[in-house]
Amino acid sequence: MRMLAVFEKSERIRHIGHLDIQRAVQRGLRRSGLPVAYSQGFNPHILVTFASALSTGACGKREIMDVTMAEDVSAAEFIERMNRAMPGEMQISEARAVDGKHPSLPGLLRAARYDLLIRDPAQAEKLISAIPSMMARKTVPAMRKTKTAMKETDIRPLILSIRGEGHHIQATLTLTEREACKPGMLMEALAREAGIQEEIRVLARREALLGQDEDGRMIPLEQL
Amino acid sequence: MNNNEKLEKILEKVQKAPRYTGGEMNTDIKGWDECPLHFGFCFPDTYEVGMSHLGLKILYGLINREAWSLCERFFMPWTDMIEQMKEEGLPLLSIESRRPMSDFDVVGFTLQYEMSYSNILAMLEMGGVPVLGSDRGETDPIVVAGGPCAYNPEPLADFIDAFMIGDGEDVMGELNRVILERKEKGLSRAECLRALSELEGVYVPSLYDVEYLPDGRIASVTPRCPEAKASVKRRVVVDLNDTYYPEEIPVPYTEVVFDRIMLEIMRGCTRGCRFCQAGMLYRPVRERSMEKLIDLAEKLEKATGYEEISLSSLSSGDYSCLPELIRELMRRMKDKRVSISLPSLRIDSVLKESLEETQQVRKTSLTFAPEAGTQRLRDVINKGVTEEDLLEKVRDAFEGGWNSVKLYFMDGLPTETDADLEGIGDLARKVVSEYFKVPKDQRARGLRVTVSASTFVPKPFTPFQWAAQDTIDEIQRKQGVLRHALNVKGVTFNWHEPYLSFLEACFARGDRRLGKVLHQAYRKGCILDGWSETFRFDAWMDAFRECGLDPAFYANRVREKDEILPWDHIDSGITKQFLWHEKEKSEQALTTRDCRQGCNGCGLQRWKGVCAYADAGRV
Ligand code: SF4
Repeated sequence: MRMLAVFEKSERIRHIGHLDIQRAVQRGLRRSGLPVAYSQGFNPHILVTFASALSTGACGKREIMDVTMAEDVSAAEFIERMNRAMPGEMQISEARAVDGKHPSLPGLLRAARYDLLIRDPAQAEKLISAIPSMMARKTVPAMRKTKTAMKETDIRPLILSIRGEGHHIQATLTLTEREACKPGMLMEALAREAGIQEEIRVLARREALLGQDEDGRMIPLEQL
Repeated sequence: MNNNEKLEKILEKVQKAPRYTGGEMNTDIKGWDECPLHFGFCFPDTYEVGMSHLGLKILYGLINREAWSLCERFFMPWTDMIEQMKEEGLPLLSIESRRPMSDFDVVGFTLQYEMSYSNILAMLEMGGVPVLGSDRGETDPIVVAGGPCAYNPEPLADFIDAFMIGDGEDVMGELNRVILERKEKGLSRAECLRALSELEGVYVPSLYDVEYLPDGRIASVTPRCPEAKASVKRRVVVDLNDTYYPEEIPVPYTEVVFDRIMLEIMRGCTRGCRFCQAGMLYRPVRERSMEKLIDLAEKLEKATGYEEISLSSLSSGDYSCLPELIRELMRRMKDKRVSISLPSLRIDSVLKESLEETQQVRKTSLTFAPEAGTQRLRDVINKGVTEEDLLEKVRDAFEGGWNSVKLYFMDGLPTETDADLEGIGDLARKVVSEYFKVPKDQRARGLRVTVSASTFVPKPFTPFQWAAQDTIDEIQRKQGVLRHALNVKGVTFNWHEPYLSFLEACFARGDRRLGKVLHQAYRKGCILDGWSETFRFDAWMDAFRECGLDPAFYANRVREKDEILPWDHIDSGITKQFLWHEKEKSEQALTTRDCRQGCNGCGLQRWKGVCAYADAGRV
């Protein structure tokens, strides 16, 4: 049995990198005393994977861990014991037990919804008013960091929806194992559109990870 | 922008932001307003170093356990952070509730090494607390300090209001109570300091006058008021089993230097190595019982989720039932997949049995500390280890499948000659040949022998407290001899430039006048001196010159028997006569027995019920 658990990476700890988040979850699982499964081999570790790595500097409202259990436990018990064992900055809001054959989460992942808070009000206004013209373009180039180099990508087809309100921009961006538009790429393109040269301070919050149901609708990944 | 917003803004620009953000497991913020006393625990080095320190975890837990007191942490920010903080006008904030240091009632520094002193000044100033004690007013925090370097508090006398000498567990709460009383009764700062001075183990330097002779030596140290004792007796926790030990400790998100459970199995050491300050200051040996340790290990494992437990003490191999302890810990921790490691193995106490057991879990490299290269010099420093011992243990290790051995030595020890340095080369060569004596199919491949030599720093409360440190030129010459002697295949040699050790020697045995030098060096921008990338030796030397003081007076001068040493009014329990006697024996290369074989009369035998070995001999 596997447990899909939705957890938060709070604003306070947004500079913690993914590897450290993974280790914090591993240790939390150990503290919880829940019957988790371990890998075989010389250096056994708990079998836990994540739907998607969240970048250093971003916080997440609904990140998802996928824990392989050695024995069955109820979702309620999982949440209760984990929340006692996890720091206040990484609490679990929901969990769902699935069987071992449930497809892996990264394979199901299609997109992510972000809330981007623009710290400077004047910049926010300019950026938001640049959204329509950017979206009217056929192609929107942005630089994507690959393992080895920077590569130019057209992000226009990857922006599934975008709107601005107050100092916030809400965007749903493609995120799969093959292609992704990261919030930084979107901001780069939008700044160009708005003619902003200065550095833009943004607080990126990933609000949901999305998959596609049988009818092609985007729904929260953990519900698939 | 408020402080929190400023901090959030800066965090986007600095390296290793998690150093400053907190929110770790087991650091839940207590309600500021519910606790009448606010203690700021300051570690004068980076987060990664501070969070590896056992003392921090003990006092953090101890203060937070009381309903009336709260403890939050402060660390020394790195240079990029300091620049940003200056630019934004952001004071140094506590990790937990992000309040400036000036909001706290007590600010406490732990003094682990002399070269962190400039960071204390920097942290106070950034925290909005006047750097000089004499500039502090009624609303400023009381600044206290403890830890091994507090035994010679004099170089910090201008900056620290009160020092806690000795074990901190009992005196910490007493000190906090006095400060809380001051707050509640509205006592003045001066009244509070006098009240603190009445506590056993507390030294308030501003209540003493120091006079100097024309040549710079001390003429007299005189208490100024009745509350100030002529001699400040160190605190000793007698029974570790009923002394506080945390059952929950903060678990950092990022990797720190020692990222594991540290189980202090005992305090003190019976061996009496003459160079070792810790060996003198933490006397007598006090063990925690096996039951207590196993109980603590289980609780800590549950509370932290750590994968590793290390047994910590000055000499873990001497713990009286070490094999049983390891066996029992391993039995209980096996299913939890927790490994057990022994960090400070001593070559004459490594039991083959426990070697084999640790090996099941983790084959880390083995560490040996012969300290000196010849038997003569090892006798001088009373390091009761013979070459046969060492080689036998090394052979056991190689036969047991280890391939990596680290050997620690010192250069510049009293009476050292080039022959002693050549001896280090000989010893390394013999270690290498032990490896090749093990049949090829029975030994692990890829031999690695690492030899490290550090420069000897004479410390207060040791038999070498009167000794001169070698000059920088002499140390550099000796390091050349060592490099030559250690040009051995399979051996890597590590050493450091002696400048830092020279400065450490000045401050370790410095007097009050060094406060001026420290302040001047800080004003010249000296901070983070323990880090090679930020250490500025020339600026330090300028500071000495500008203050009209000669560093060689402190580092390279032999003291006479009758000289008043700057720390003579601190009573560690070890008598000056004992230390002088040990010094004389060392000059004749005569050894002193291990306390377990009988009391050597170090002075602690006068304090009834403190030293079990001395009391055993009394009947
Ligand atoms: S009192 Fe005696 S036995 Fe105890 S530490 Fe001192 S010398 Fe050793």
